[in-house]
Amino acid sequence: MRYDAAIIGAGAEGLAAAALLAGAGARTIVVERSERAGGRATTREFHPGFRASPFADELPPIPADIYWALDLARRGAIFRPAPVSPAARRFLRDVERRAADIRARAVAGIDSAPDHSFFSRPAVPAPWPGEDWMALSLADVLAREQPDIAAHLAAAALSGSVADPYLAGSALHLLTLPRSGFVTGGLASLANALVGAAHEAGADISLGHDVTDIRHAKGRVSGIGLADGSEIEARAVISTLDLKRTFLSFFQWNALPKEIVHAVGTFRMAGAAARVLFALDTMLPDAARDRIHVSSDLEQLAAANTVWRTGTIAPRLPVTLRIVSAADAGLAPLGQSVVTATLGAVPFRLFDGAWTHEKREVLRMQALAALETAMPGAGAHVIAAEVIAPPDIEEALGATDGDLMGGALAADQMLSAGPWPDVPFPRCPLKGLYLAGSWLAMSGTCVAGAAAARTVAADIASGTLK
Amino acid sequence: MSAIVVGGGVNGLVAATYLARAGRKVVLLEAKDALGGACATTTFATGFKGPTIAHALTALDPRVVAELKLARRGLKFAVRDMPTVALRADGKHLVIGRDVRATARGIAAHSRADAEAWPRFRRELFDLARAMRPFWWDEPKRGWNLPPTIATLRRQNLAAWLDSRFESDAVKAAVACDASGLSPLVPGSPLLLVWRGCQEMCGLQSAAAIPLGGPGALVDALTAAAKVASVELRTGAHVADILVKDGAATGVVLESGEEIVAKRVLASLSHSQLLATKAGRSALGIGESTALERSVPAVASAKVLLALNAAPNFGGSPSRGRFLLADKIETFVTAHAASRAGCMPEELALEVVVPTAADPALAPMGQHVVSIRIAPLPRHLAGSWDAAKAPLAAKAIAALERCAPGLARHVTAAQVLTPDDIAKRYGEEDEVTVERVMSDWPSRILTPIKGLFLCGAASEPVGAVSGRAGRIAAAHALREAAK
Repeated sequence: MRYDAAIIGAGAEGLAAAALLAGAGARTIVVERSERAGGRATTREFHPGFRASPFADELPPIPADIYWALDLARRGAIFRPAPVSPAARRFLRDVERRAADIRARAVAGIDSAPDHSFFSRPAVPAPWPGEDWMALSLADVLAREQPDIAAHLAAAALSGSVADPYLAGSALHLLTLPRSGFVTGGLASLANALVGAAHEAGADISLGHDVTDIRHAKGRVSGIGLADGSEIEARAVISTLDLKRTFLSFFQWNALPKEIVHAVGTFRMAGAAARVLFALDTMLPDAARDRIHVSSDLEQLAAANTVWRTGTIAPRLPVTLRIVSAADAGLAPLGQSVVTATLGAVPFRLFDGAWTHEKREVLRMQALAALETAMPGAGAHVIAAEVIAPPDIEEALGATDGDLMGGALAADQMLSAGPWPDVPFPRCPLKGLYLAGSWLAMSGTCVAGAAAARTVAADIASGTLK
Repeated sequence: MSAIVVGGGVNGLVAATYLARAGRKVVLLEAKDALGGACATTTFATGFKGPTIAHALTALDPRVVAELKLARRGLKFAVRDMPTVALRADGKHLVIGRDVRATARGIAAHSRADAEAWPRFRRELFDLARAMRPFWWDEPKRGWNLPPTIATLRRQNLAAWLDSRFESDAVKAAVACDASGLSPLVPGSPLLLVWRGCQEMCGLQSAAAIPLGGPGALVDALTAAAKVASVELRTGAHVADILVKDGAATGVVLESGEEIVAKRVLASLSHSQLLATKAGRSALGIGESTALERSVPAVASAKVLLALNAAPNFGGSPSRGRFLLADKIETFVTAHAASRAGCMPEELALEVVVPTAADPALAPMGQHVVSIRIAPLPRHLAGSWDAAKAPLAAKAIAALERCAPGLARHVTAAQVLTPDDIAKRYGEEDEVTVERVMSDWPSRILTPIKGLFLCGAASEPVGAVSGRAGRIAAAHALREAAK
């Protein structure tokens, strides 16, 4: 059977794309390597009785129209907004507006389908909203805020990431600030809701199948090949993996046009996040529901960035702590708690070799020290800890360099729709292949997936896809 | 008096001369006893003369040279078209010259792919430079729009831009040296390279040139031109403030209390220097003042002059070159980050010129002068710059020693100008920003005070000895006078 669309990866983007495409009447299949759908939206038991979402506590927000189109509320994805101090709220609203403007500009490319007519002249591209921020540093933008709010916002913007907050352009990291808030039951509830939406719309979800290659001939994609040797034929393939992973592991390099290999090769990733999950045998003060940023004033963030660039683990990494069981009591047994530590400026490639057990221990000790700093005495109650280093993130999610963003947050990668100016994302120079993984202008969950679904539907309707 | 020019640097002299040639009565006021500003030749040890700050002219406007007939007034070049030599610790020095093919052959020793990419890169750079030339060289004609390629480049950072074109550190670092004013991670940093490309294209002194007799010779020629145009030159005249009445400049008052009245004042001041004057502070308003105060440059440069009793040996490369020392792009990234934090960078990036190689008269027979520019460095160092003077020189010599073995033994005298010294002598510079590079001439030259024009190097897109700001500011002043 030939599908209209085959989607690689059953993360939030892939499931949203599947639900929307199947809902529009396209025969759709999602292929996922792991036995469970969800991608980074998973929650698992890391110690008997203690559960946490290993890769993130919360995701970038799902725009309201997608949320309601997929009917996620009925399916159990109930968000509880994270507490925000009133002073920061005004600032965040401005950031949200900016992010929405940038998204709108990125999607504008979809509707004007690529014009390949011979006489067409390259039009002057419209400017990107947010360009004013690429000349500013985080420190510049936050200079107007109150010092404590500024420090909190800077640390939040760089949580699990890395940048020199004094460098022009680092202000763009603020665009990652908007968060969806907690999902009751952990991020897995969101994944379950999305799976429900996809199933109900009639999409097939095939778990435990490793995609090995994307079949293509003459610049046109015809389907995907699986590890067991079978093939799924499809008119369109949507990859929710990042740009590098998509092209470098699903294609033979010599089979691709040189320009594609070059553009993909020079696309920059910046994995810098590690996580430590703590199980504690005590209740922690309920007051600390918000994120606690430890050792992360601007100078320290700048220093951590310098050390990160040399491939070294800084002696004091910026750490963000979160008592997830305070927001969602179901994650820990009664009277006990779960704390997650998100470490930033953790290099994916270490200058002195591979990630060994000892180096993971360094992360654990640093997270523990941060926990002790923020909540003196809490360290003694830790009964279990799990370290998730950047290579683990790459291994588990297929995110190149463990970069959960899909690429380095630099102006040229963020304020653009991919490396091919005349074929903007989600399209790419290979006909029939759509990319929803490295679209950095799309800060938001399910946004790139929805945009890819819309593009595929439009291209099927216009007859571009045979 | 119809116009006053404050500051007798290159741009001040150029502006005064253009005004006088247009028939205006002009007085030029220089606070120090000598004209020339940062473009001067100094005797730093007995018998050794060297360039005080600027050691190679990379941006001199050929129109200034032609229109002011500087060649007739004695400006001769000791060397033109100096090749750029990237010194490598492994001895595989890279010579980057005008000849694209020869350069590519040299690059092939480092990387074959880069040798192939080189001609492509030069073509691309000069295409961009050609697109930007009307904007940077003059005031663009009406209807000129920013080319789309430049709009894209503004989002790019230099490190990524070069990474996608070259693979070897040698080539990338050598190219990045010409854009060291900004961190290579700043969006828009490749524009500094494009600006350099524009200067290279001008065809007069192409990449870099040294006047015979040192940079002071350029000032001598300009002074002669000013005298011929009958500019009144007054040295030792320190301007205390600019006189302003009803929002318009009416003249200046000297430290001695003397007032000079004129309709137009052209000042070689940076914006931060203007802010330091009373008139500037009241005219700029609080918003702009605080914005300017916040943007004090974090990054600056230092200058070291060495007297050598033997010729420096850079491993067989031509000594009439502009030598660059920087291992990789990361050197600039970390140096900028360290400078911003007020720390001495671990690795220094140097630009070295041996003026005596082209002009032996600058030193006693058989001896040599080595001129080193170190950038980026912190403008404000934790601790003090005075204490860091000797370590800085030692560090620079040690870095040089790696590529020119034996050089340290021959050093007989040295002069170090730290960023503090330079700021004290020539005033605080303005920060290099992409906005400044991409703003138009009027926004850099005009001030909120009517009749006051900024004509110094700070009004250039990128600070350099070019004379262009003086020429354009004079044109503005004349146009306003004609109204």
